[in-house]
Amino acid sequence: MDNRLLEMVDITKRFPGVLALERVNFDLKKGEVHGLLGENGAGKSTLIKILAGDYSKDEGEIIINGENVEFYSPSDSQSRGISVIYQELNTLDTLSVAENIFVGNLPKKKGLRTVDWKTLNRNAKTVLGRMLVDINPRRIVGDLTVHEKQIVEIAKAIYKDAKILVMDEPTAALGEKDTVSLFNIIRSLKLQDVGVIYISHRLKEVFEITDRVTVLRDGRLIGTEVTAETSRGRLITMMVGRELKDMYPKRDVPFGKTLIEVHNLTIRGIIEDINFDVREGEIVGLFGLLGSGRQNIVRALYGIDEKDNGTIKIKGSPVFIDTPAQALLHNIGFMPIDRKLEGLALTMSVFSNITMAHIDELGSGYFIDKNLEMEQSQKWVNDVNIKTPSLETDVNSLSGGNQQKIVLAKLLETGSNIFIMNEPTRGIDVGAKVDIYQMMENLCEKGAGIIMISSELPEVLAMSDRIITISQGKITGEFTRKEATQEKLLQAATV
Amino acid sequence: MAKNITAESNGERQKTRLSSTTILFMFLVVMVASFAVLSKDFYSVYNLSSMLTNISFSGIVAGTLTLVMIMGGLDISIGGNIALTSCLVAYLYNLENPPHIALIILIGLLLGTAIGAFNGFIITRLDLNPIITTLGTMAMTRGMGYVLTQSRSILILENVVGFIGRGSIAKIPFPLILFGVIYTILAVVMARSKFGRKIYCIGSNQEAARLSGINVRRVKFITYLVSGIAASLSGLILTGQTAVGMPQHANGSELDVITAVLMGGTSLAGGKGSVLGTLAGVLILGVLYNGFTMIGFRYVHIRVFQGAILILVVSLYEVRDRKRF
Repeated sequence: MDNRLLEMVDITKRFPGVLALERVNFDLKKGEVHGLLGENGAGKSTLIKILAGDYSKDEGEIIINGENVEFYSPSDSQSRGISVIYQELNTLDTLSVAENIFVGNLPKKKGLRTVDWKTLNRNAKTVLGRMLVDINPRRIVGDLTVHEKQIVEIAKAIYKDAKILVMDEPTAALGEKDTVSLFNIIRSLKLQDVGVIYISHRLKEVFEITDRVTVLRDGRLIGTEVTAETSRGRLITMMVGRELKDMYPKRDVPFGKTLIEVHNLTIRGIIEDINFDVREGEIVGLFGLLGSGRQNIVRALYGIDEKDNGTIKIKGSPVFIDTPAQALLHNIGFMPIDRKLEGLALTMSVFSNITMAHIDELGSGYFIDKNLEMEQSQKWVNDVNIKTPSLETDVNSLSGGNQQKIVLAKLLETGSNIFIMNEPTRGIDVGAKVDIYQMMENLCEKGAGIIMISSELPEVLAMSDRIITISQGKITGEFTRKEATQEKLLQAATV
Repeated sequence: MAKNITAESNGERQKTRLSSTTILFMFLVVMVASFAVLSKDFYSVYNLSSMLTNISFSGIVAGTLTLVMIMGGLDISIGGNIALTSCLVAYLYNLENPPHIALIILIGLLLGTAIGAFNGFIITRLDLNPIITTLGTMAMTRGMGYVLTQSRSILILENVVGFIGRGSIAKIPFPLILFGVIYTILAVVMARSKFGRKIYCIGSNQEAARLSGINVRRVKFITYLVSGIAASLSGLILTGQTAVGMPQHANGSELDVITAVLMGGTSLAGGKGSVLGTLAGVLILGVLYNGFTMIGFRYVHIRVFQGAILILVVSLYEVRDRKRF
């Protein structure tokens, strides 16, 4: 009991009409990494927001170092040593690393009270050194990578003497290498007795970094487990409330004719001489590290970016694709990598998003056939299993998993049969992932071909029929489903 | 869970959003009723009809500007466009051998079309910021008006032009008919047409719209074109009403027009708004000026009220849209 940093006891939170949290208990020890798991909408964010002082709790107690506390605002929470690092980082991108870390408390020179840059940069170096990282404190934060920005935010929290650090999906935008680096930082924080609450959808990471795991579902505490004594299957069952026999519902679909062929696709200095094809019923995985050029290949294929050379053949005949509209005309559908930036019109309704890439086909003439539109949207909401209060609901109020399903529904509504799917399950919960995989398999059974890009190796290995590895803009290997292993892919992707 | 809740409460919030236009119209009715009580001159057919006629010239451009702003753009060249159209029409009419009046009117409308096309071209092809682009066209058109007329007012006592501004069909003022027809068309376009939906999509997320195969450049170009045409039509109405072409026409009117659109609930960021909301905004501003004048306030006072009401209404929208609990 003595080394407990934080206890949250019987926390209850009601929103109009819904019980968001019901008597949830949670605790964190010194130097512990405590994973918080649950599907989107399970209550993780609400719990964290209560801890951060963003929401007020309706019932329950928060005890920090044995003292009962009440938070009325985020600053109350921060003054108790709690720091939250959100998925969307809050760095000041036009300022330097050092300024970001010490913002609001820059050291000043005596006399004129101007900023003492020397001391500032020296202090910043010390703080970064405590985390065993070496970033020049003079660099402008806007030029940093996502991981480096994250480090700056952690450094800011450390400098403020944070005892409890909450990290919300910290690896969502990180590559393999940065994840390793982040974990090293977390381990160094543990040694300094900082307690870390770690939220992630990636079970692999949870097993790698956490000491204990707490699972929430539908606003209730399902259980807290010691990580070393639990299993992956058990955690999944706790999360989804049923036994998920098959995370990857891969079916045996026979391949048909060749749907699309890409010949000599080249963008000077970026990708070179890319050749591949996709058959009916086939999922082809493109695997490569960040910056390998896999994005450029599919963007050029869909007519978003200009290409310097290359022929695309659909069912044997060459086609001309220079804009997304032309790609759609040839029945190529595209799922962008970032649903919020490129996929959805967030201020618009579920139905207008679903039909967005198909407006011209909604009735003949200048007007939208409203009945047809509603019918189609409702069909996809049912088929893809989108949970939304109504078709009129604004998309930005839905959970990430449901938003991703809307992106998929939009793709399906176009009636395409060649699909480019970019990170189809990024940052969404297990249940929604399985729904999306099911849908992909349904498409294959109907004779569609899918080009899938994913950074998650298990997903690539489990869902692809064929995997093409890309490194430095070139194809470096091709593996059938049987041949492919994690090691082989990584090796080919890092040539 | 938290996200589901936002979903549900947002469902409710959407109902209130739909009715926000209704609230504006209710506010309008209250205003009309109050002025009718305070001044017996206000609630007369003559006054109301002349008030509506007076607002139709700025109302028409407010309608088309709504499309531009829902698309996430802005067009502040409308005032200059109105002035230059009126100058050009009056100038042509006063030539020694003036062209046929129908041709003059056509040239006036073509001028607006050209200004709209210019804006559209610069914004879509050179990817210039619409505020900067139309700020430039605003100065250029206003300046050309002064050059063309040598800074004088040119009288134009012509029947057809006069009819556009002051005429009436079956006792209904002609500008009011134009106003009504244009709003009906715009409202239907935005609520029902494919083109209108594309405007909303572009305003909400341009990149997503492009990746969805929407021809963003084309839709944008047409919308700026329409804004230009509407401005020159307003220029003709104003010329008819005042029987004079002068470069000072509609000076600063772009800001009043933007005020009406914003009051109607269209967001500066794009993606949200409605033609009906703008109609309410236009009518509220019209009643505000007319009513307060009737009960003895001067123009300068009413400007203060206009500013205050804009801030009040838009802050109400903001408060309603806050996501916090």
